[in-house]
Amino acid sequence: MAGIMSSLLALRFGAPLLLVFLVVGMIAGDSGPGGLQFNDVGTTYLVGSVALALILFDGGLRTRFQTIRTVLAPSIVLATLGVLLTALITAPVAKYALDLNWTEALLAGAVVASTDAAAVFLLVHAQGLRLRPRVGATLEVESGTNDPFAVFLTLMLVELISIGESSALHVGLEFLRQAILGAIIGFVGGRLVVLALNRVALPQGLHAPFVATAALVIFGTAQISHGSGFLAVYLAGIIIGNRPTRAHNSVVAFLDAATWLAQIVMFVLLGLLVSPQRLFDSMGPALLVALVLMLVARPVAVFLCLAPFRFNWRERLFIAWVGLRGAVAIFLASIPMLVGLSKAYLYFDVAFVVVITSLLLQGWTLAAAARRLHVALPRSDRGPRRVELDLPGQLEQQLVGYAVRPKSLYLRRGLLPSWSKPTLVIRDERILSPAEAEPVAAGDYVYLLAPPEKAEALDRFFVDMPPSSAPDPHLLGDFVVSGEITLGDIAAIYGVSIDPAQSALTLADYFDLHLDRAPKEGATVPLDSIVLVARSIGGGRVNVVGLRLPEDEEDAPPPTRIASFKSKLRETWASLIGI
Amino acid sequence: MTITDLVAPEAIIPALKVISKKQALQELAARASALTGQNERSIFEVLLQREKLGTTAVGYGVAIPHGKLPKLEKLFGLFARLERPIDFEAMDGQPVDLVFLLLAPEGAGADHLKALARIARLLRDQDVAKKLRASRDAQAIYSVLALPPATAA
Repeated sequence: MAGIMSSLLALRFGAPLLLVFLVVGMIAGDSGPGGLQFNDVGTTYLVGSVALALILFDGGLRTRFQTIRTVLAPSIVLATLGVLLTALITAPVAKYALDLNWTEALLAGAVVASTDAAAVFLLVHAQGLRLRPRVGATLEVESGTNDPFAVFLTLMLVELISIGESSALHVGLEFLRQAILGAIIGFVGGRLVVLALNRVALPQGLHAPFVATAALVIFGTAQISHGSGFLAVYLAGIIIGNRPTRAHNSVVAFLDAATWLAQIVMFVLLGLLVSPQRLFDSMGPALLVALVLMLVARPVAVFLCLAPFRFNWRERLFIAWVGLRGAVAIFLASIPMLVGLSKAYLYFDVAFVVVITSLLLQGWTLAAAARRLHVALPRSDRGPRRVELDLPGQLEQQLVGYAVRPKSLYLRRGLLPSWSKPTLVIRDERILSPAEAEPVAAGDYVYLLAPPEKAEALDRFFVDMPPSSAPDPHLLGDFVVSGEITLGDIAAIYGVSIDPAQSALTLADYFDLHLDRAPKEGATVPLDSIVLVARSIGGGRVNVVGLRLPEDEEDAPPPTRIASFKSKLRETWASLIGI
Repeated sequence: MTITDLVAPEAIIPALKVISKKQALQELAARASALTGQNERSIFEVLLQREKLGTTAVGYGVAIPHGKLPKLEKLFGLFARLERPIDFEAMDGQPVDLVFLLLAPEGAGADHLKALARIARLLRDQDVAKKLRASRDAQAIYSVLALPPATAA
């Protein structure tokens, strides 16, 4: 029930909410009843930059380094080569549909080539959608890193059109400089912010504004020194988000609000800038460009870029479809206006149409596509609600709170890991010490001290467990290991033979590669003579892996082989009827 | 292969006094070193390395620390019953009081895996575990380990 309600809410307020603000802007603008005269492209560009910087920073802040590590290569190829390919494929269509010359057509392509980080982050999260980790992470990292590239490409082309000649060498050097300077400033800036957060005693409540301002300073510094400010803030966000800092939770909450605000401001401004009458004239060709972009350019670019990486075709298709365009495209389109190129308004109108089509068509079908292509995780995978409270004065421990559910492992077996310590219990609005609260009952709230990085591992003690079916321990494996260890580790200890190229692969990734869909508890994957069993799943990844060692002598191997063959058959069949 | 092929009677410690996982591993490494002549430090390192990947506690109060030791001649087992159960970071949260240490030479491969599986399955058997916990001396423990595996299963 709750799931249905939340997905209804998300559907109502996901993509369309942004469009509402766009319409608000249009109504208030010069051709609507508001009659507001607004054509200050300079302000739009400035506000757009700040908004985009905040959005990217927020995106970085939420990105767990652990998840991006494995998708770094495909994401970066998508973000650079992918953007270039998309722009190149879109350009010919733009040339003939909009009657432009080649450079101008390429500029039109570049403007709409990058996926929008904000739109991807927002739509994927707002819809309550949980994607398979590799797919979700690839999309997020791609959208975060391709904005800087698209900005760069656009600036280059604008320069080319307005000034004229330029050499490939110059462009290449400029690109390198932007990327390297941006990366260095982002890295150093991020480290400095972490240091400042943990060393300087700020009054309560100032941490979040401090971090937000610092992000803008990093952005500005990078821009002034001719580095890519967008790359810098994104990197800084990743660094700050992945180090233990004070007030981490309040910073994230604050930036969440700031990101929304930035989005709203951007869309209202864009609504103000667009003029519907003029838009009407270029509607047809612009729509054509949008459709070619979504149905041809993006898929071709994605399939080409992902060819060397391991993704199954459904994942590729989904990544191709979720090329959401958003405010970035319109922001980029305002650059030609700023410089005063002759057909500047045309880019703007094309971008506008592309964004609206993309938000409507792709934004609305995102959830359905994810489920259809089996890249969404089941809702039941969601953990119990966890309250995390920072404890000022130190970083090692935080207070984690849970509602005690009737069928939780904690209540039924009284189990807790040794690194967590129950500190207080809230019952009927009274605060009790654990000793006073003995015995804890369903409906109480328990607060425990635990290291922040392990807090997630507490979840499993507080979820409602299905009535225990006394699992056959043999099926769960003889030993357990963490999902984050590598195949090489296993090979070194157990002497199983593995593909040397895969020795750095983690077990969690190995599951991802060999299972066709999101792993479930109990899923098995053979590794030479042993069988890996998924014992515990968190965030769609296998956290704990059971190792089922081979049986004695000859009686065992045949059944496992038949069983694996059978499960392979089952999966093939399921994937056949699944489409 | 039975369990007693792996454990000599003198490799059984009926009541080991330790208060932590680390101390338990240290003690076991010391005993194993005395019996095999291998370096105590390197045994301890090997065990610690394996624990880093994930606990070797298999549930029901049993732990089976293990690892590979290049210079070892053959599989070596050591069994200890702890005087007081200790936290071994087990998945089921239960404190551990039965510990079986298994060290394997570099090339043991399949034998190593089979031995581990055999030990894990034997000690998971609640009847066997109960008998082991009830045994007071090394001789009694050895005879429980020497019992043929329950063939009915």
